[in-house]
Amino acid sequence: MRVLRFLLRRLLQLVPVLLGVVVVTFLLVRVLPGDPIRTILGPNATEADAAAARARFGLDQPLWRQFLDYVGGLFTGDFGTSIQSGTSVGAEMAVRIGPTMELVVIALTVALLLATVLGIWSARNVGRFGDHTVRVAALIGNSVPEFWLGLVLVLVGYSVLGWFPAPSGRVDPDTDLSLITGADLLDAALTANGPAFVSALEHLALPVATLVIAIVAPLLRSVRASALEVLASEAYTAAAAHGLKDRLLLRGYLVRAALVRLPALAALVFGFSIGSTVLVEYVFSWQGFGQWALRGLLYRDYPVVQASVLVIALFYVVVFLIADVVHAILDPRVRI
Amino acid sequence: MSQRVREVGGDRGFASSLIIAGSAILALVAVAVVFAPLLSAWGPEEIDPLAPLAAPGGAHLLGTDLNGMDVWSRVLHAARLDVGIAIAAVAVAVVAGSLVGLVAGYRGGWPDDVLMRVLDVFQAFPTFILALAVAALLGGGTANLIAVIALVNAPAYARLVRAEVRSVRELPFVEASRTSGASFWGVLWRHVLPNSLTPVRVIAPLNCGWAMLTLAGLSFLGLGVPVPTAEWGAMISLGAGDVVAGRWWTSVPPGLFLLICVLGFSLLGEGLQERADSTRR
Repeated sequence: MRVLRFLLRRLLQLVPVLLGVVVVTFLLVRVLPGDPIRTILGPNATEADAAAARARFGLDQPLWRQFLDYVGGLFTGDFGTSIQSGTSVGAEMAVRIGPTMELVVIALTVALLLATVLGIWSARNVGRFGDHTVRVAALIGNSVPEFWLGLVLVLVGYSVLGWFPAPSGRVDPDTDLSLITGADLLDAALTANGPAFVSALEHLALPVATLVIAIVAPLLRSVRASALEVLASEAYTAAAAHGLKDRLLLRGYLVRAALVRLPALAALVFGFSIGSTVLVEYVFSWQGFGQWALRGLLYRDYPVVQASVLVIALFYVVVFLIADVVHAILDPRVRI
Repeated sequence: MSQRVREVGGDRGFASSLIIAGSAILALVAVAVVFAPLLSAWGPEEIDPLAPLAAPGGAHLLGTDLNGMDVWSRVLHAARLDVGIAIAAVAVAVVAGSLVGLVAGYRGGWPDDVLMRVLDVFQAFPTFILALAVAALLGGGTANLIAVIALVNAPAYARLVRAEVRSVRELPFVEASRTSGASFWGVLWRHVLPNSLTPVRVIAPLNCGWAMLTLAGLSFLGLGVPVPTAEWGAMISLGAGDVVAGRWWTSVPPGLFLLICVLGFSLLGEGLQERADSTRR
């Protein structure tokens, strides 16, 4: 019951933030220089052509009218029509989110596992050579430009060794994978398409590795810091002094307590990895949400920009909300 | 066990080595920034028409790119722009953010509420996404890039300083200064501000590194400085096509320099943080 009330209050708090995002995006994209109509018309288009096109997308209406239309559409789940492609933004977005989520979710999962194992190991060996090595490696990971790292992995994994496929696309087209969610690995599993599954895994390896290296450092730091606090706590010292077995100490005392701060951080890192994904998608021609949104921005495709910005903000704040709830469940000290 | 407990708050020896390593790297970067023209035989935008995509060695230490420009020279000269923009952007973010946080935290009341709600909207986005969106809409160029990177970093400073100010303003000596008739800005400037900047000092170097990564990322996507200006992200972008063909020298060196430079800031920031932790104990 308390959790529900907390959830409801937090959801209500999101309303003004998202409303702010909607208004700011709507205005910014129109106020700042650039004209979406000019990008779809050829160089020989006349003023009349431009006016006709403007009318077709409702851009000749007064600003308040456009805004009401846009917000009204949002309530019915209609994100408008892409100026570039002329198709529904919602439908375009639907096939773009899957591939990107696949990338982000797998990378985040691997990074969380890696951070937990390395972080606790590092804390238990605090001050020793191994600990220092892990910390410096994390700093290097934190400093590496992810798009460059992706290129280096392509250079080594594809150009030199030939172990991984070329950085173009997410699955071998010969495997005839049918589109369900857009997340190729999931689609291959759902349709029991073995070759496509293997191909999707091969294509995922390098971009996932790139993302993991780019995002693991802050998670690792957090686990290490929490684990150090536990190791220094009286409860742990007492348990160790009573001669509890190492495995019990690790499982019962260290892991859970060390993971308490992780949800909030994972939410932050999730956001960070959305940013990185735009770059990684670009390097690997992933054709996901990031590339789609970037194209929309560059061509001033108003409906695409508005939809992608809103969806990213929505994802981001909702993930933070989930993180808070998980934190509350993990940590009995949190009162909500 | 006792040794472990003592080291929880920070490891002074390790902190010092981090700070020394970071400073050494940054000193080398400074040398590259200052002496770039002396250290390279070619100009950063000078074209060798006979040798596009020449391999390293011979007349070109690190080879040439697609346009026949010397990679070594461009990598060195790019340090000026990348480091310069990053430091300028962080400086603007620190000043603007701190000012907002200072006033919001000290005044409280409705200005505080309004400013915090505005920050909420800004922070509803991952920072790189925000930078990307604003940069794409605003257009490239040095001044715009500084503005964009400062804009996305300022909210964090505002929050940091605000939180610090809210505790500092309750301290007895601030109260004493206020009751003895010092002006609003006087108290703020002399007592509250200097005592609220401690976390900023630790975050700023780390932030410089991050600002460089943002800048290079934007340039990589074509949202940075105009071609053919020497800039690491743009160089990596230009060389990206060569990678599939196995030509490493056009994109690996600029990224490596960027990595080393960011690492310098990270090591310094981490070391400062570690030292702050160990003194607090």
